[in-house]
Amino acid sequence: MATTTALDTSSITYGHTGPVLKLENVAIAYKVRGGEIEAVQNVSFEINRGESHGLVGESGCGKSTVAWAVVNFLGANGYVKRGNIKFLGRELTGRSGEDLRRLRGDQIAMVYQDPMQALNPSLRLGDQLKEVLTVHRGMADAEAAKRSIEMLERVYMPDAADVMRRYPHQISGGQQQRVVIAMALLNNPALLIMDEPTTALDVTVEAAVLDLIADLRREFDTAIMYITHNLGVVARVCSKVGVMYAGEMVERGIVEQIFKRPQHPYTQGLMRCVPKLGADKASSMLYPIRGRVPPPNSRPIGCVFSPRCDYAQERCRMERPALRTMPNSVQVRCHFAEDIDPSQWQPSEDVELPTLREVVVSEPILEVQHLKKYYEVSGSALKDILGLRPKRDVKAVEDATFTVQKGRTLGVVGESGCGKSTLIKTIIGLEDCTAGKAEFMGFDITCNISSRDIKLIKELQMVFQNPDSTMNPSYTVGQQIGRPMVRFKTVPKKQVREEVIKILQAMRLGETYYDRLPRQLSGGEKQRVGIARALASHPNLVLCDEPVSALDVSVQAAILNLLLDAQSKLGTTMVFIAHDLSVVRFFSDDVAVMYLGQIMEIGPAEAIYAPPYHPYTEALLSAVPIPDPTAAQKHIRLEGSVPSALDPPSGCRFHTRCPQRHFAPEGGAVCATQIPPWQETSNGHKIFCHIPLETLRTFDPVISHKEKD
Amino acid sequence: MLVKDIMTRHPILVAPEIPVTEVQSIMVENQVRHLPVAGDGKRLLGLITRQRLALSADELGSLNVWEITRHISQLTAKQIMLKKSQVITIDPDRTVERAAALITDHKISGLPVIENDIIVGILTETDLLRAFQIMLGLPMAGVRVTVRMPNRKGEFNKLSTVLAQKGWGVAGMGSFPTPRHSGQYDLVLKISDVSVEEVKEALSDIPDQTIVDIRTVV
Repeated sequence: MATTTALDTSSITYGHTGPVLKLENVAIAYKVRGGEIEAVQNVSFEINRGESHGLVGESGCGKSTVAWAVVNFLGANGYVKRGNIKFLGRELTGRSGEDLRRLRGDQIAMVYQDPMQALNPSLRLGDQLKEVLTVHRGMADAEAAKRSIEMLERVYMPDAADVMRRYPHQISGGQQQRVVIAMALLNNPALLIMDEPTTALDVTVEAAVLDLIADLRREFDTAIMYITHNLGVVARVCSKVGVMYAGEMVERGIVEQIFKRPQHPYTQGLMRCVPKLGADKASSMLYPIRGRVPPPNSRPIGCVFSPRCDYAQERCRMERPALRTMPNSVQVRCHFAEDIDPSQWQPSEDVELPTLREVVVSEPILEVQHLKKYYEVSGSALKDILGLRPKRDVKAVEDATFTVQKGRTLGVVGESGCGKSTLIKTIIGLEDCTAGKAEFMGFDITCNISSRDIKLIKELQMVFQNPDSTMNPSYTVGQQIGRPMVRFKTVPKKQVREEVIKILQAMRLGETYYDRLPRQLSGGEKQRVGIARALASHPNLVLCDEPVSALDVSVQAAILNLLLDAQSKLGTTMVFIAHDLSVVRFFSDDVAVMYLGQIMEIGPAEAIYAPPYHPYTEALLSAVPIPDPTAAQKHIRLEGSVPSALDPPSGCRFHTRCPQRHFAPEGGAVCATQIPPWQETSNGHKIFCHIPLETLRTFDPVISHKEKD
Repeated sequence: MLVKDIMTRHPILVAPEIPVTEVQSIMVENQVRHLPVAGDGKRLLGLITRQRLALSADELGSLNVWEITRHISQLTAKQIMLKKSQVITIDPDRTVERAAALITDHKISGLPVIENDIIVGILTETDLLRAFQIMLGLPMAGVRVTVRMPNRKGEFNKLSTVLAQKGWGVAGMGSFPTPRHSGQYDLVLKISDVSVEEVKEALSDIPDQTIVDIRTVV
């Protein structure tokens, strides 16, 4: 009869819970030549003590502008044109510089995307942390040092006292971000503004930082404004969320409500762009939102979203909707929010959708066996220079063995520094390979690209992560795409222009793009040109190195669909690198999981994302932020960072961080001494681990969905 | 339950040089009765309460209406605040009962919470009353029962044994010497997921203890 259920005390709050930050009808404008531009219009929201409020939207929607306005970082030409920004009951606009300086030091703290830009590279971390206390509080040096160490321990920094003596470059990216967060919290601020704080971090590190933020919010009762484009992150850390589009708040409410039933067409569109980990591949079709965010000076008269909205009617084009509160207390800026039923939604005709292709089993096109890539490092000590000490190697890729079948896609995932990029650079010939065999269509490709036959180069092409740095800024789009055609003589010179236009159209870019320069294109368009160039020579194998990770979600969906479409039309084989596991799942037929240069698990995508998994795959999956607040996810966090590839751990490379090591024979002692065996489960799914398959099979799936009410 | 658990964190603060007119509007708009004045690094300099804003007639008596306006517009927070040496404060690690005692003893209505001279929160009567409600289990549904027992050791043990046998959960609890009956103690319990009858039946058999009040609607 004893009940074990605890009382639900989550709604009880102590102390006063009024808003820390309150924005009322805020409009922010930038003065430019010939007038001014209203970047943000009519934004209202409030953040209470201990609440974390997310702001999401594509880039250019004014999320960061709002954050800058709060701390008055708008620059010389930006100002708050209308409305009030109240922080702890006091108006922030129009305050003096001295007043704001004090406020920023004492009560408002900021954490930005790139921790390296927030830290001074020439000062020791300890000095930078202590400065916050000695300057703003006039604290004595020893006391400040003690406090700083305590705070570093609060953000789970291993070996905090030692970190105080280091320089920023001596710690990893995730640790740098922790130092920045610790620094922000030293003065116990009332408001913490976080602008994409985890976007530059690996999933495993991101998961740890997000856990930390949730912890600290509870402990310090800090109000958090959390800006991100990642809906999964919002679902994990925020209690409320505002969706911004073209400088306006289009929907705002409790996270659970918004994710369960998004009511604004833009929010619905955003949800449809995100690949979902839980769903199977066939049902996880991505639907990009057509068009793009209008620039602030050419916004439509009516609803700002009407040009991209599938439900737009005459009224939407003429009359700007007001932010209305719906029965479930979500605020929506749409005339027809009640009438829109997202389940009845059909993609409109001009949306780019790939034709789903049959996964065929065919002959292998790329066969890699025991491929190794070592980089020799020479020390700077005298002994090294004289060659008295043995040469040391960074073992970037160790013993990679896999095959890719014609027409299929191999996805490669892993944390940064695990050798993903080195692997494909070696395949394409930008790096020599140290040992092993690699055959492409029967040709040996272990040699450098300069000694390869031009026909072989034609068949192997690459799409890079950052389209900006891979395009020559002074050549037009047409010249860039035409160059491989001319070089490989796939098309007679006279027909190049025609062929380039054909391929531009296939990339949904019109003929007008032929004479444009890269700087006249948006990020998504540049990536399309990058893909067009890679496909221009009709290669058999395209290697994609994180082609979508720098892009907005809606653009990302469009690019992924485009790549899938090109693949099904041309029958191209692909190797696809990404750190986002949901994207890889969506895109790939086979997946290889890499850790520290070693492939840990390889097999068909479905097999990788369900038990049995390698413990590392399990940890990666549990770290992925899922855009669904009702999904339950196992909580596995890896300790520490990836060990140095200069001196990788003996035995299984993962044993130093493996959370499931105790399941291995001899309580895990074997992991440190012996290289694990390849265990095959079924149709090509192989796991590189000592733990018996029977034990691995008993693990619960990482992601489970709670019953829908 | 310590001060740091129930205080309001991140209180509204003002700088010493801001005009009194602004102080007044901040207090009215945000419905606060205590406004700590803070210097650099949230260091406590003083406290402004509603009474401090009531300017004395003596001070203004000799002035005409124009002079009053000018006088008020020139006043700053620093001039009207209660100086730090006169402000009664509390450490976040003290107990709530000590905080309540400070408030009643000095006949004040709130305390700035200070750690090493730095303002970390504020504790007012309202915060204490809110904690009091939570202590007695007001936010949770259940049966509220008051048991009267002799003031001697071992009595609570009898009661808790019954609770343990039944496997009941207690959502709130408070005890105090029975008013006007020396030698007896009253214990208020909020028990969740039970009915009034169940509680009556289970507790009425305890020797020397009586149920003096039982209800579900508080």
